[in-house]
Amino acid sequence: MHEMGVAAEVRRIARQSVADRGPGRITCVRLAVGDLAAIEPELLKYAWEALVEGTPEAGATLEVDWRPATQTCRICGDLPGRAPGTWLRLCPRCDGVLSVTGGDDLDVLQVVFEEEDPVEREAQGGER
Amino acid sequence: MTEIDVKQKVLAANAAAAAGLRETFARTGTLVVNLISSPGSGKTTLLEKTVAALKGSLSLGGLEGDIATERDAERLRKMGIPARQILTGGSCHLDARQVERALADEGGRLSNLDILFIENVGNLICPTGYDLGEDFKIVLLSVTEGEDKPFKYPAIFSKAAVTVVTKIDLLPYVPFDLVAVREQVATLAPDGRLVEVSATSGAGMDAWLSLLTDALAKKRAEIPAAGVAS
Ligand SMILES: [Zn+2]
Repeated sequence: MHEMGVAAEVRRIARQSVADRGPGRITCVRLAVGDLAAIEPELLKYAWEALVEGTPEAGATLEVDWRPATQTCRICGDLPGRAPGTWLRLCPRCDGVLSVTGGDDLDVLQVVFEEEDPVEREAQGGER
Repeated sequence: MTEIDVKQKVLAANAAAAAGLRETFARTGTLVVNLISSPGSGKTTLLEKTVAALKGSLSLGGLEGDIATERDAERLRKMGIPARQILTGGSCHLDARQVERALADEGGRLSNLDILFIENVGNLICPTGYDLGEDFKIVLLSVTEGEDKPFKYPAIFSKAAVTVVTKIDLLPYVPFDLVAVREQVATLAPDGRLVEVSATSGAGMDAWLSLLTDALAKKRAEIPAAGVAS
């Protein structure tokens, strides 16, 4: 279950990227996850929720952009529509060796940051 | 609301630490091998036999990744080489920053060797994606685990430079198709090596040992300054 470690690293990067923004909170983190990154997006979201609970990032959502790998057979050419995860490097038609490109993404793409509104903060009696 | 573009690799911090380790080991001319396998495949036993064979001529050390016990490092220390356990506290793989910290704590005892063995947490999936600054990854597969493993865990078998089939003395007693494994490994790692050993009977140990000493010699030859550094 290395999704928890990945979630912690994502939070570290997200916090770092808003460190100089003043008061406010992270509401969403967008990630690219490739077919071959050995990450299960649903597990990663659970890990994220467990990790941020009770922290300043509580309630922040994790959005995952799935990045498929492309597989090409040197004999049959492109193999469109192969199910994600079936990336054993063998052609289902001719047993030839496939070349695989892409799908190794595991990147933080974007962080959505909600600045704290000073007027609103005043109205709430300086809460937080 | 502000959308901040980050575009940063999640494993960037690990990659940077791994690059630093690789630089350190290039200077010391230390060959670093990262051993990955399921639990019980015989990593520590193979290392014990390897140490027994090589410690007269080479300086060796071990870093042992484990979830909770000191057992494996103790086994290596009993063999007379420096070894340190990295307790991951439940985590399923080692990462380069843990290796960095462990080496720093040992103050050079493990970073100035001929060969450093890193025994990863027993797991064929999670350690695959983490670069530890090693020269190459080695995957071990014991004949008691079944011959379908390479195609079931293709990532590690295609990333490992060497596949070691262990416990071959048990071949007469288990249904294990060695030919099928050779074919799967050749498919997944066309440039990889495959050795078949029994640490118990000693079969295949020569091929395994010379694979290590050849790799060390090659590394030393590629880094002209390394041989005289220590
Ligand atoms: Zn084909």
